[in-house]
Amino acid sequence: MDSLDRGRRAAGLGLAALAIAGGLTACSGSSGGDGGAASAGAGQAAGGGTYTIWDPYPQFDDSSDWVKLLTQCGTQAGVTVKRTGYDTTDLTNKALLAAQQGNSPDVLIVDNPVVSTLAEAGVLTSTDETKIDTSAVSPNLLAAGQLGGKTYGIPIGANTLALYYNKEVLKKAGVDADGIKDWASLTAALEKVKAAGKKGITFSAIGTEEGSFQFLPWFWGSGANLTKLDSPQGVAALSLWTDWVKKGYAPTSVINNTQTTSWQEFATGDFAFGENGTWQLANAKKTGFDYGIIPIPGKDGGTAPAPTGGEFVTIPVQKDAARYVATQKLVTCLASTGNSLTTDTTLSYIAPTEEVQTKQVEQNAELKVWVEAVKAAKGRTSDNLGTKYPKISEPMWKAMQAALSGSQPPQEALTAAQATAASAVQ
Amino acid sequence: MRATRRTWWRTGLGVVFTAFMLFPVYWMINVSFTRDQDMRKSPPYWFPVHGTLEGYRAVLEQQGPYLATSLVVGLGTVALTLVIAAPAAYSLAKLRPRGGGVLSFVLLIAQMIPGVIMAMGFYAIYLSTGVLNTVPGLIVADSTLAVPFAVLIFTAFMSGIPEELMQAARVDGAGAVRTFWSVVLPVSRNSVITVSLFAFLWAWSDFVFASTLDQGGGRQPITLGIYHYIGNNNQQWNAIMATAVVASIPATVLLVIAQRYVAAGVTAGAVKD
Amino acid sequence: MPVVVYLLAFYVYPLYRNVDLSLRNYTVRSFVQGDAPFTGFANYAKVFADATFGPALWHTIVFTVVSLAFQFSIGLALAVFFSRNFRLSTTLRALFLVPWLLPLIVSSSTWSWMLNSESGVVNAVLAALGIDPVNWLTSPDWSLWSVTIANIWIGIPFNLVVLYSGLQAIPSHIHEAAALDGASGWQRFWRVTFPLLRPVSAITLLLGLVYTLKVFDIIWIMTKGGPSDASTTLATWSYRLGFGNLLPSFGPGAAVGNLLIVIALVFGLVYIRAQRRQGAAA
Repeated sequence: MDSLDRGRRAAGLGLAALAIAGGLTACSGSSGGDGGAASAGAGQAAGGGTYTIWDPYPQFDDSSDWVKLLTQCGTQAGVTVKRTGYDTTDLTNKALLAAQQGNSPDVLIVDNPVVSTLAEAGVLTSTDETKIDTSAVSPNLLAAGQLGGKTYGIPIGANTLALYYNKEVLKKAGVDADGIKDWASLTAALEKVKAAGKKGITFSAIGTEEGSFQFLPWFWGSGANLTKLDSPQGVAALSLWTDWVKKGYAPTSVINNTQTTSWQEFATGDFAFGENGTWQLANAKKTGFDYGIIPIPGKDGGTAPAPTGGEFVTIPVQKDAARYVATQKLVTCLASTGNSLTTDTTLSYIAPTEEVQTKQVEQNAELKVWVEAVKAAKGRTSDNLGTKYPKISEPMWKAMQAALSGSQPPQEALTAAQATAASAVQ
Repeated sequence: MRATRRTWWRTGLGVVFTAFMLFPVYWMINVSFTRDQDMRKSPPYWFPVHGTLEGYRAVLEQQGPYLATSLVVGLGTVALTLVIAAPAAYSLAKLRPRGGGVLSFVLLIAQMIPGVIMAMGFYAIYLSTGVLNTVPGLIVADSTLAVPFAVLIFTAFMSGIPEELMQAARVDGAGAVRTFWSVVLPVSRNSVITVSLFAFLWAWSDFVFASTLDQGGGRQPITLGIYHYIGNNNQQWNAIMATAVVASIPATVLLVIAQRYVAAGVTAGAVKD
Repeated sequence: MPVVVYLLAFYVYPLYRNVDLSLRNYTVRSFVQGDAPFTGFANYAKVFADATFGPALWHTIVFTVVSLAFQFSIGLALAVFFSRNFRLSTTLRALFLVPWLLPLIVSSSTWSWMLNSESGVVNAVLAALGIDPVNWLTSPDWSLWSVTIANIWIGIPFNLVVLYSGLQAIPSHIHEAAALDGASGWQRFWRVTFPLLRPVSAITLLLGLVYTLKVFDIIWIMTKGGPSDASTTLATWSYRLGFGNLLPSFGPGAAVGNLLIVIALVFGLVYIRAQRRQGAAA
C-alpha cells in the first residue's frame, strides 16, 4: 500500500508541475468538458489530486456527454477525474478485488442489486458517513441500496420492464392492446396472434441474473414472494411462461436470450410483444414499425410490480478519510437536478426524484408510462433481503431454465429451487 | 509441368475445406453488416441484403489506436516467449539437467491454472510493482499463456535433433551456448515459427488479462476496444463483429507471410539435403 | 535457469492463491478484509456433495474426449493433406488459422448465432433439406453437443499447425526409402509417418487435453452451462461459483478449479512416465 500512496503523491507532483506550467493561461476551471483532464487539473491543482471513477458504461468514450459531465463535476469539486468504464458483469469482481488490495476507486457506480453485496463486504461507506443527501429520492428506488437501516449510495437513475408491442401485428390479429389487463387476456391475445401467423412474445429467460430480472414481474405479479419460491402463485407464474413456450406463443430461444437478443427478435417485426426495458426506447424508434408500450399486467389485473434496474453512485471506503470531502462534492454534483436530467436522458433512464421525473415527462410525453412503471417498481434486494437475494435468484433462474427446457415441470423445479434457496440463505 | 496439373484437385479440395472451416467467419462478417432489425430475422439473410456500414463507421473512427497496441503487445509477447522458452527447452532436451522431469511437469500444471485466477494473482503483484495498466505489464502476463506451451513444444522438437549433429559441433569445439545458437536454433526454425505464431495469436486474442490488468490503462488492446459496443443493457452486435473483422485483417496478413516463410524454410532445407 | 525464476514468479503465486482460496471459508466480506477462517477440506466436501458435481464431471469427460478425438484426427488429416505442396497450399493453410485470431467472445457468439433455434442459419439449412429444426442450445439433449462442435472447430487450427510442423520435421528421405520398398501411401503413413510423429502427437494431445479441460468461455457464452446444467463442465461450474453470480463463492469455485488441476496432473504423470519409458528404450 506504500507504493500506492507514493503513486498518488507522484501524480500530485505531476499535477503541481502542470499547474505551474499552465497556471497563467488556464485560469477558468469551469471551462467544462472539452478541455479534458489536463486543463481541469491545471486550474484547480490547489484543491487537488486525481479522483478515480468506475462506471459500468464502457460504451461511452471521452467525447460522450457522460464523461464530459464527470469531468465538469470534477472541476467544480476542484479535482481531476480519471474515469474507467467496465463491463457491468465484470465490475463487481473488479470492485471486490480492488478493495482487497486497497485500491478502490473514489466513486463507484454499480448495478443496484450489487450494492448490498458490496456493503456487506465492507467496501462501501454509508451516506451518513459521507453526508450525501438522499432525501429527494423515491423510497422504493432507494430501498435497493439500503441494508440494516443504512443507505449505501444514491441511484443515478432507474429503469424497469414493460411490454413493447407491435401495433401492426396486433391489428392484423384483431387484438386491442388496451384490452390487455391480466394474464388471461394477454394469453388470449397471444393465441390470436399465433392464429394470424405471427409470433407471440419474446423475453429473456437466460440462466443469469438477467433472466431473474425478466421473470420477476410475472412472479411478483401473481402475488408470490421471494421467500417462498414454490408457493402456488410462484408456480402459476412459471407455468404461464412454460405454457407459452409449449404452445409456441414464445420461441424456445428465450431460454438463451439476453435482453439484447430478445430485443433483436422483437425488432424483426415478427413478434407481437417483447418484454424489455426503458433503455430500448431509443432503439424502438429505429425499428421502422409502429410500437406501443403497456405495463406488465398482474395475474388478476392491475400493474405488476417490475424490478427496478439502474445503477447506484457509491463511495467506496478509503484509507484517507479526507478524500470524502471532494468525493461528496462530486457525487452531489452528479445527483443534482440539472445533471440528473442530462444523465438520465443520455442513458435513457427514469430519474430517481419526482422533480426530475416531472421534467422528463414534460420534455417527452412518451416517458409517462415508464415513470408510472418505475413508481410501481420494487428493488430486488428490498424487503430486507439484501445479500440473501442472490442466493434466491440463482435457484430461481435455474428452475426457470429447467421448466422452460422441459426437463422438469414447474412445480417440481420450484420445489427443488426453494430447497436450495432455503439452505443457502441459512 | 506434370506435377502442377496433378495437384489441381488438391487445390480444389483445399479450397472446399477452407471454405467449410471459415463459414463461421463468413457469418461473422455477414452479421457485421447487418442492421439491428434484421439480426434475428427468421430465416436469416445469407448475404447482408440490407447491409449497413454503421458498424464499420464506428470501428474505423475508434479502433485505430487499439490495433496498434495489440500489435505491440503481440510482438512483445513473441519476443519475450522465445527468449525465455528456447534456452530452457534446449537445456531440458539436450543437457538433461536434474529435475528436468519435475520442471516439465510443473509447466504442464501451470497451464491448468484458470486464466481468471492468474489474472487475480497478477493484479496484486502488478499493483504493488506499479505496472498495472501498462503495456509491458500486459506483455509479461500474456507471455505466461505461451511460455509453458513453448517450452514443451520446443523440447518435443529439439529432442528429435540427431545427436550426431550436436556431437559434430562439440568436436568443432563449440560450447553449449554456441551449439544452441548456431546449430539447434537454425535446425528448429519450424518450431520457432510455430511457437511465435501461437504466442502472437494468444496475445492478440487475450481478453481476461487485458480486462483485469489494463482496463484502466491509456493504451489498450483491440479486445478491450470491443467494450465500446457493450453497454450495461445493450450490445451493438454489428459493431462488435466489425471490430473482430477489422482486427483479424492485419493479423491474417501476418499469418500468411509467416506461413510462406515456414514453407520457404522447408524447401531450403530439402535442397541442402 | 531463468525459466525456473519465471515459473516461481508468475505461476506459483496464483497457484498458491487458488489453493489458499479453496481451503478457507470465504465470504465476500472476508475476501475483502482478508480474515477468512481456515476450514481445511470443507469446500471440497461441499463440492463433492453438490448435485451438480456428478453431471459436471460426466460432461467434462464427454466434452474433452469427443473434442480431442475430433480435433486431433481432423487436424492430422489436414496436416497430411497440406504436407504436399500444391497451388495455394500455404495461403489456405494460413487461412485455417483465422479462427484463432478471433477473440473467443466473438467466435463463440457467432456460433450461438448460427445455432439459434429461431433465426440460426444451421436450422435454416436443415429446413431447406426438409429436416425439423433442432433446439441446438436450448434443449438439454443437444446443448452439450453444440458446445462440443464449436470447441472442435476452435481447436482444429492448433492441431493442424503443431502436427504440420511435426510432419515437416520428418526427413523426406525416410519416405522415399519406404516408397522404394514398395509401401503404399496408406502403409507409409501408418508404418513410417505415424510412429515418427508420436512424440509430437503425444504432446499435442496432452496440451489439447489441458486446454480442453480448462475451456469455459465457449460454453459460458453459448449456453451459460444450461439449460438445467446440461452443458455444465467442471470449468464452467468453477467459473459460475466464483464469478457468475451476484454473490461470488470463491472457496468452492477455487476447489473445483483445483480438482481440474489434479485431473490434468494425473494425465501429466502418465505422459512423463511414458516418455521416460521411451527414453529408456532408446
